Amino acid sequence: MRKRTLKRSLTGFWWFTLAFLYLPLAVVALFSFNASNSAARFTGFSWRWYERLLGNEEILSAFANSMVLAIVSSVIALVVGCLIGYGMYRHRHRKLGWLIVLIYLPIVLPDIVFGISEMAFFVQVHRLTGFLQPGLGTMIIAHVTFQIPFVALIVYSRFVGLDPTLFEAAKDLYATPTKRVIHFMLPTIKPALISAFFLSFTLSVDDFVISFFTAGPESATLPIYIWGAIKKGVSPEINAIATLMIAAVAIVAVISLIFSRRRQA
Amino acid sequence: MALDATTSDAITTDSIPADSITADSIRTESKPMTDTLTLEAADTSSTEMEESTRDASSIEMQGLHKRFGRNTVALDGVDLVIEAGEFFTLLGPSGCGKTTLLRILAGLEEADAGRLAIGGRDVTEVPPHQRSVNTVFQSYALFPHLSVRENLAFGLKMRGMPPEQREARVAKIAEFIQLGDLVERRVDQLSGGQRQRIALARALVNEPDVLLLDEPLSALDAGLRSQLQVELLRVQKRLGMTFVFVTHDQDEAMVMSDRIAVLNGGVIQQVGPPREVYEHPANAFVARFMGHDNLYPISARDGDRLTTPLGVLRGEAVGEGDLLLIRPETLDLLPGEQQGDNRLPATVTERLYRGSHAEYRLEVGETTLQATLNNRGRRLPEVGDRVTVSVAPEDLVTLSE
Repeated sequence: MRKRTLKRSLTGFWWFTLAFLYLPLAVVALFSFNASNSAARFTGFSWRWYERLLGNEEILSAFANSMVLAIVSSVIALVVGCLIGYGMYRHRHRKLGWLIVLIYLPIVLPDIVFGISEMAFFVQVHRLTGFLQPGLGTMIIAHVTFQIPFVALIVYSRFVGLDPTLFEAAKDLYATPTKRVIHFMLPTIKPALISAFFLSFTLSVDDFVISFFTAGPESATLPIYIWGAIKKGVSPEINAIATLMIAAVAIVAVISLIFSRRRQA
Repeated sequence: MALDATTSDAITTDSIPADSITADSIRTESKPMTDTLTLEAADTSSTEMEESTRDASSIEMQGLHKRFGRNTVALDGVDLVIEAGEFFTLLGPSGCGKTTLLRILAGLEEADAGRLAIGGRDVTEVPPHQRSVNTVFQSYALFPHLSVRENLAFGLKMRGMPPEQREARVAKIAEFIQLGDLVERRVDQLSGGQRQRIALARALVNEPDVLLLDEPLSALDAGLRSQLQVELLRVQKRLGMTFVFVTHDQDEAMVMSDRIAVLNGGVIQQVGPPREVYEHPANAFVARFMGHDNLYPISARDGDRLTTPLGVLRGEAVGEGDLLLIRPETLDLLPGEQQGDNRLPATVTERLYRGSHAEYRLEVGETTLQATLNNRGRRLPEVGDRVTVSVAPEDLVTLSE
């Protein structure tokens, strides 16, 4: 009897948690279809805010910036992070404490500190050399720096999970160093590379603080645009953008889930 | 270039039933079929494949030294010649250097000093992917991202063999080790025994000059293990390939090997055929490692008469050395007290009944002695019985510490 009550209340708690997490998102999605301008009352269904969105040049360019930033920075972070992860694996028997801390630091550092430091650095470099004018370029560099540790750690943990003799078996079976990379290492860590890419991509799309400090006048991303627009008051247009972003993230999450399911099957 | 016809013929599955085979029958009946090893390189332009045909290869090691860190000496001057087509075993306890030596043969470890030649070619400095040597690893090391077929084809693919020939060779080897129906499986869907065979096939399919086996059977249970021992031996005799086998199990070493090298502390203690190593161990370490416990110091010698803690025993043509070895199975236990040469009064203190035979622990004066008796329908002495141990003079062996 008692057990059943406990079980029921735990189930209730589960639904409460889900509601707590997703109700706000549902509200945003609902109001993005609101026929009226009101943020308080839902007066009827309409696509008008989505239509307005597609006609807004600023939003489209912010979206394009977000995508270019996310894709380019994730690809660079994937290559560099993968090399660092392999390096950490190769030298795992040495004492690497300080190096691991250095790798972790960007993860635990508050974004605002990180963003301000990046900005100060880029300003100095620009003043001295004329390079690195704030814009998409500096944003990509900043994003790569905070994505690298995630990629490196994911790749490192995949390598650590492998039987070390596999590396020797590849050598023993006539694979030259290049062939070992192409036919053994890359295929073996492919699942790790895919999830590292998706994680980097999401981190980049999500980021506001670091982007804000390193952006130039022409390189506003979606979060930056939303922040600017909200200063003028919450428009249902913003709800529409938010809903699209929720949908996009959900789709990416489902894709990566399918990928990992297929690996396990 | 096509796969040589002789090779195709060599790899077939018609074989003698496994249960009718013993190590000795294989050893005496089949000659090494060196001609079956003819391998035409798929890519003759690559440097490691310059010989287009190959026979089983000998291995020559000269003064191999290897040290890990400052204090750990893994190999301390190893000189050894392994003949072409031999089933050669490196035997010793863990940390004796046997695995290091195998890894140096594979090229996975570099010797600090010394020279190594395989098939007459100096390979001391040659990296592993340029040696015609393949290894069956203890953990099998099958690639988890590849199917069985892709695992088998890996070495051929890396050497640049065209896909059709590759597939033909893979199909043949899969049939040879009787795993043809498993080739599409993923590695994690296989049992331990199947993985072991795939690992063997993945090495054999490359038709290397030398096959190295690093305790390949140690992860398997006893029944499967002895079955695979016989299979492995049969494969080696059919292909006539040089096998270098590493194990810490002296029974396995004796069953499998043409010759055994016993290692300890990075030094070879003795090299010889199983019977010689077992019956005439070169020193106390080899004797103990081969399972001998009846070792007694010789305090005085008078011709063939040896004074030991057991009493005075007469040997026949005993050699040098200050230790006497008595193998338990050479002893006979006679009922009651009987006087005579090489007869020792004893008391049974322990008996382990093993069905086909029984192992005895006896007290002779102040010392203990172990004996093994075959269970041949006669009365087996009981614990507490007074017996007389009889030793034949020709069975006494002396050795030095």
